[in-house]
Amino acid sequence: MSSSSSSSSSPPCPKKMITLKSSDGETFEIEEIAALQSKTLENMIDENCASTPIPLPNVKGKILAKVVEFCTKHAEAGADAETLRAWDAEFVGVEHAIVFDYILAANFLEIPTLLDLACESVAEMIKGKTPDEIRKFFNINNAFSPEEEEDVRRQNQWAFE
Amino acid sequence: MDPSVDFVPILGLDMSFKILLSLGDPCDIARASCVSRSWHGFVVSNGLSKQLCLGMFPQLSGVDHVTESCSFKTEAETGSSNTKEWDVLEREHRVYGFLSHCCRSIVDRECISDAISASSTDNFPEEGINNTLEMRDRVGRIASYWSSEGQKKPAVPETLIYKLVGDLCVITEIDIQPFQAYFQTGLPIYSAKSVRFRMGYPKASVDLDSVDQSCHDSTNDKFVWTYTSPEFPMAQENCLQKFKFPKPVLCIGGFLLVELLGRVQRQEMDGLFYICVSHVRVLGRPLSPTFGVDIIEPSGKFVLKALSYTKESLPESSPRRISSLELQRRVRNLEHILNMLRGNVRDVEDIWDEGQDDSDEEFA
Repeated sequence: MSSSSSSSSSPPCPKKMITLKSSDGETFEIEEIAALQSKTLENMIDENCASTPIPLPNVKGKILAKVVEFCTKHAEAGADAETLRAWDAEFVGVEHAIVFDYILAANFLEIPTLLDLACESVAEMIKGKTPDEIRKFFNINNAFSPEEEEDVRRQNQWAFE
Repeated sequence: MDPSVDFVPILGLDMSFKILLSLGDPCDIARASCVSRSWHGFVVSNGLSKQLCLGMFPQLSGVDHVTESCSFKTEAETGSSNTKEWDVLEREHRVYGFLSHCCRSIVDRECISDAISASSTDNFPEEGINNTLEMRDRVGRIASYWSSEGQKKPAVPETLIYKLVGDLCVITEIDIQPFQAYFQTGLPIYSAKSVRFRMGYPKASVDLDSVDQSCHDSTNDKFVWTYTSPEFPMAQENCLQKFKFPKPVLCIGGFLLVELLGRVQRQEMDGLFYICVSHVRVLGRPLSPTFGVDIIEPSGKFVLKALSYTKESLPESSPRRISSLELQRRVRNLEHILNMLRGNVRDVEDIWDEGQDDSDEEFA
C-alpha cells in the first residue's frame, strides 16, 4: 500500500498524499506521483481539487485498494522491467470477475497501463480456445439453436482447421 | 465458478471491442463469433474481422465492397430478420476474416511473374530487364544484368516495372543485387544510392502486350501506384541486398515499381553514370486464386473478391521462370545476328563460340 504520510522529519521533502474515497465509503491514501498515472486524477490534481478526499463512486473499496497498489508499484523508481512484468502477471492472475472490475476502474480512472494489462489478460483467456471452451470458461449461455450453431460454424469453418 | 461472467455485457462496447481486437488472430475472432448469439452479433455488427484486417493492411482502406463466389445464405440466421446491412456485415466478417487468415498462414515465396519494362535500357535486349529475373550475374559466358542508359547527372533516377503473381499479393521483402561489371577494370559496382517501391495497377486502357520493355517514359503514366514504401539506402556491394518492409504490405493490382534513386558509379569509358541490376526478387504470399480484386476506375476504389474459402496455392514456379535461360540466350543470339545483318558489327565469335569471355564488354 502507499507509504507513510509526510509528517515525520527524516525524508528531506515530504511526499504529497492524495486521499481517495471508494463507492462504499472506504478511504485510501496514495502518493501524488503514483496518482498521476491516472489521467482522471491528474486532471483533478492540476485543477487543484485534490485537497479533500476525491470521491470515486464507480469503484468499490476492494478494487480501489488494488488499483492504488498497482499505481504505487508502477510509480516506484528503479523497478526493472523483468520484475515488474512478473509482478503484473501475478496482479492479474486472479478470478476473471475481478479482472473485469480492474478494467472498469482503469477505464474510469484512465490508467492506460492497467487497462492494457487487464484487457490483455482477458484476451489470453480466449486465445486458442474453441467456442465450447470459451463458453465453459466464462459460463456463457449458448443461446444458438442447433441449426444456427451449425450454420455459424460452417461460415467460419476455416478457423477450425 | 461464478454464474455467467460474460464480459461483453459487463464491460460494454468499447472495452469488449478492445479485448476482442487484441486477440490478434483472425481464427480467434472467428471462433469468438461462434460462442453465442450475442457474441456473434457483437463480432459481426462491430466489424471485428474487418478492423483486424485493416490494422494488418491499411492498404485495404480502398475497398468499396466485398463479394463472395459461394453463397452462405440459409434459412437459419441468428434470429434477426436479414436486412441488407446485416448481410453485408456478415459477408465482410467472412471475407476479411479469411483474408487475414490466409495472409498469416501462407509461406513466403517468389512473387514476380514477369518483367514489364525499364525506364531506360542501354543495350536492348542484351541488357534488358528480363535479365533481372535470372539470379546469376552471368550464364555461361554471357553476363546477365539490366543496364540503364548513361546520365551526366547522378541524381537521375531509374525505374523497373514487374508484374506479380496474381492481382492480390502480400509482400514481405524485396531483394536486389546490383551488377558488378566483372569485365571492367576496377570491377565497378553500378548500384543505386537508394531504392523505393511502389505498388498498384494498370489503367484499364493499357495493353500490356504492346508495352516497350526497353523504356517506359510513357508506360509509367499507364499505372496507378497506390502504395509507396519508405526509402531504403542501397550499399555499393555485389550481393543480394534485402529490403524488408517494416510490416508486410498488401499489393493491390499486382504490379510493382522498383525506384532506383541516385547513381553512384561512373563508367570510365564514357564518364557517364549508370545503374545496373543483376537480380530482383520479391518475397511474399500470393493470394490468388483464393482472392481477387476488380479496380473501379476512375475512383481507384476496388472490389475485394473471395473466390473460394479453401486455401489454394499457385504452382511454385511462375511461367516466366520455367521458360528457360536457353530460350533467352537463343533469342539474344538471334538479336546479335540481326544486329550484325543491320551492320552493327559485333564479333562473329560471340555467337558461334561460347568460349568468349568478354562478349558484353562494350556497352556504351
